[in-house]
Amino acid sequence: MNLAKAKIFDFTGASDNGSNFKEYDASVAEALRQSVENKLAIVLDYGWGFKNKAPHLVLDHLNLSGSNPLRGPNNPIGERFPVVNGIYVTDCDLLALQDLKTGVVAGLKQGQKASASELDFLYSMGAGFYSYNLVPTMLVAAHAGWRVLGVVGPDDAQSTTGSADWRKKVLQGISSN
Amino acid sequence: MVTQQWKSQAKTAGQAVGVIKAVTNKVPDAAVVLGSGVAALHDLLHPVVLPFEEIFGIAPTVAGHAGSVTVGQLPEKPSVTVAVIRGRYHVYEGHDYNTLTLATKTIVGWGVPRLFLTNAAGGVNAQFDVGDLMVITGFRDFLNPKYRETGLLEAAMAPAVASDNALTASIIKAGQHLAAQDKKFRPLRTGTYCAVSGPSYETLAEIEMARRLKVDAVGMSTVPELQAAAGTGTVAAALSVITNVWSDDKPMGGHEEVLEASKHASRRLDQLFRYLLQN
Repeated sequence: MNLAKAKIFDFTGASDNGSNFKEYDASVAEALRQSVENKLAIVLDYGWGFKNKAPHLVLDHLNLSGSNPLRGPNNPIGERFPVVNGIYVTDCDLLALQDLKTGVVAGLKQGQKASASELDFLYSMGAGFYSYNLVPTMLVAAHAGWRVLGVVGPDDAQSTTGSADWRKKVLQGISSN
Repeated sequence: MVTQQWKSQAKTAGQAVGVIKAVTNKVPDAAVVLGSGVAALHDLLHPVVLPFEEIFGIAPTVAGHAGSVTVGQLPEKPSVTVAVIRGRYHVYEGHDYNTLTLATKTIVGWGVPRLFLTNAAGGVNAQFDVGDLMVITGFRDFLNPKYRETGLLEAAMAPAVASDNALTASIIKAGQHLAAQDKKFRPLRTGTYCAVSGPSYETLAEIEMARRLKVDAVGMSTVPELQAAAGTGTVAAALSVITNVWSDDKPMGGHEEVLEASKHASRRLDQLFRYLLQN
């Protein structure tokens, strides 16, 4: 798998060599519907409520945002009812990703902060953390025939070192792949 | 915007009743809503057929949903008048709550006493088989468009809502009777239905979540209709046709598979409705 040819969707605002999205919006969907040779998206997103406060390679998701970006007339690029299993890339042998923990992300409504009892509920449902941008991006990507390598990690404020340097490590690892 | 365009074309339930009453003076004894690919009661006598667009002002956009209302007499008992509604409006098409419930409100406004709802649903309960019919005895609402504003956490943490009334009980009883009389009639299942917005199918993690929430089947409709009929003069009950059963080691099928499985279960559903309408 050639990750260097993948399109990066970086919602952490840290990338200086690719697309830099502050949050999921129409331009993300537009980018995913472009015709490209390698339909692989690498999505970096901030997360919260980590059971283990560390960057995670995403294995699957729970969409609890109350929204689905595919709602409305179907874009003919994909099926009306897309099957979205097996979309996340979880078998990557890239060294920079091998150190990551793995887990299921809950996609919440943009900006929603889970309370302690809500976090307990999310954990009991199988999620290990939550984020806002990865899930809608994945749904549009899957509909357009892409696979997604998703990495979700803590932001600067949550990082024990005061800097979310996981982004840099992942991006450097991908570019040197 | 598409939703805005639909809104401007949509009729009110009162206007829809007026359109129907202009072509038939009969008030049905029961109405039956047929979901994706579900077929039943195709041979009503003296049928009057009206397309959705004419009654409600908007047409459905999904394959497997004809979008029509047929009013006619049951061949086995012509004194019984039935309205068969083929198709419905969905959240995933971009419709708002008023449009999702427009047909039900029309049934209520028309004065129909009994409403049978059907849908195609994915089986979450591992004991289910493809082609099973499940009587909905409880539901979870993850579909309401209002959740776009609030997110789904609160709804997911809330308990399931019971959906058991006299009509539900009569369906279960009819199923038991038919299964005892006819070996080919598979016993009905009962369970909790979770309505999700779609249009994408669930991830395996979401199926696991549904199992932990004790959901038996997942689909993209019906709950708004049950909610709209609650507390009115129309008693509503619902059945799911189980079109696939999720398993970790089997790939998920798509909409074509849903339509195919619906076809096989439709014969038993037809038998069930004919019995219910005659008794």
